[in-house]
Amino acid sequence: MAEQAPVNPDIELVSRTQAGDARAFDELVVKYSPRLYGLVYNMTSNHEDANDLLQEVFAKAYRSISGFRGKSSFYTWIHSIAVNMTINFLKKRGRRFQMSLDDVDLNIQNDKEFIELTATASPVRQADLGELQLKLNEAMGKLSPEHRAVVTMFDIQGMPHAEISKILGVSEGTIRSRLFYAHRQLQAHLDEFREFRKK
Amino acid sequence: MQEEPDYITKLLRLKRFEQPEPEYFENFLKEFQARQRGQMLREPAWRIGWDRLCAFFGENLPVRLGYGLAYGAVLVAATIASINIRESRPVEMAAVPPRPAAQVASLNLNTQVQLPDLPTFVRRTAPTASFSAPRYVMDTRPVSYEPPSSF
Repeated sequence: MAEQAPVNPDIELVSRTQAGDARAFDELVVKYSPRLYGLVYNMTSNHEDANDLLQEVFAKAYRSISGFRGKSSFYTWIHSIAVNMTINFLKKRGRRFQMSLDDVDLNIQNDKEFIELTATASPVRQADLGELQLKLNEAMGKLSPEHRAVVTMFDIQGMPHAEISKILGVSEGTIRSRLFYAHRQLQAHLDEFREFRKK
Repeated sequence: MQEEPDYITKLLRLKRFEQPEPEYFENFLKEFQARQRGQMLREPAWRIGWDRLCAFFGENLPVRLGYGLAYGAVLVAATIASINIRESRPVEMAAVPPRPAAQVASLNLNTQVQLPDLPTFVRRTAPTASFSAPRYVMDTRPVSYEPPSSF
C-alpha cells in the first residue's frame, strides 16, 4: 500500500484565502508572525520598525496572494517578501536609526549554549546581559542589509543554506561566501568577548 | 580557525531570546485586521493592481509577459483608432470677434450700443434658403437609377 504524502496545511489555507476567505489568511498570520517578527526585528534592531514592517509584509502578501501559484512554498514566498521589504527599508533608513530592543527572555539562563558560554571565565560571564545584547545589536548594525539578512536567517533562526538561497534567489555558494564575510566582520566588532578565551 | 565562527554563531544565537511582550502576538492579528481595513479604503486601485501584477508575473514571467504585451498592443491600437474617428468629424464655426475692453467699461443705460454681427454656424450640407414664392414642380419622369427600359 502506497504511503500518502503529508499534505501541507498552508496549501489549503492559501486556496481558501484565494477564494476570498479572510479567516484563512488570519490563520497564516498567526502561524507566521512570530517567525517573521524574529527575522525583521533581528535585521532592524528596532521593535517599532519591525512591527510596522511586519504589518506591511502581511498586507502586501494578502494583496498579492491571488498571484501566488504555489511554485515555491508559502513559507519561502512570505519570507522572501519580508526579507526584500526589510532590505529596502534598511537601505532607505541608512545610518540614522535608534535601537529599540526587546527584553531578553529570562529562559536564556536555561539555554545550553548560554550556559556553555558563561561557564568559563569568559567576558560573556563578566558582561551584564543588557550590555551583551547591546554589543550584539551594534555589531549586527555594522553589517550591510544583505549580510544582516543571511546572518539572521542562518545564525539566529537556524535555517539551512538551501532554504536561505531559495528565499534570497541566489546560489548556496553566494550564501556561504556572504556568511564567511559577515562572520569575519562580526569577529572584529565582538573581539572583546573573545579576549578572555585567548588568555 | 574553525572555533571562531562557531563562537560567533553561538553568541548570535542568544539573540533568539530577545522577545516582545507575551501579549504582542495576540494583539498583532487585531492590529493587522484594523490596519488592513483602513488601508484597503485608502489604497489606490493602481497599487493593489500593481502588487497583484508583480505576484502574477513572479512565477510565469515569459508567458504572462507575452499576454501583457499583446494586451498593451491592443490598447494602443484602440486608442489610435478612437483618435482618428474623432478627428474625422468637421465642425466649422465662425470665430466670435472679441469685444473691445474699453467699450465694455464705458457702458451705461444711455449709451447706444451697436451690436456686432452674431456668429453663424455654417453647415456644409444645409440647403440655401429662398424666400421667393413657393414653386411646385411636377417632374415628368421620376428619378431613378435604373437604366431606361425603352430602347
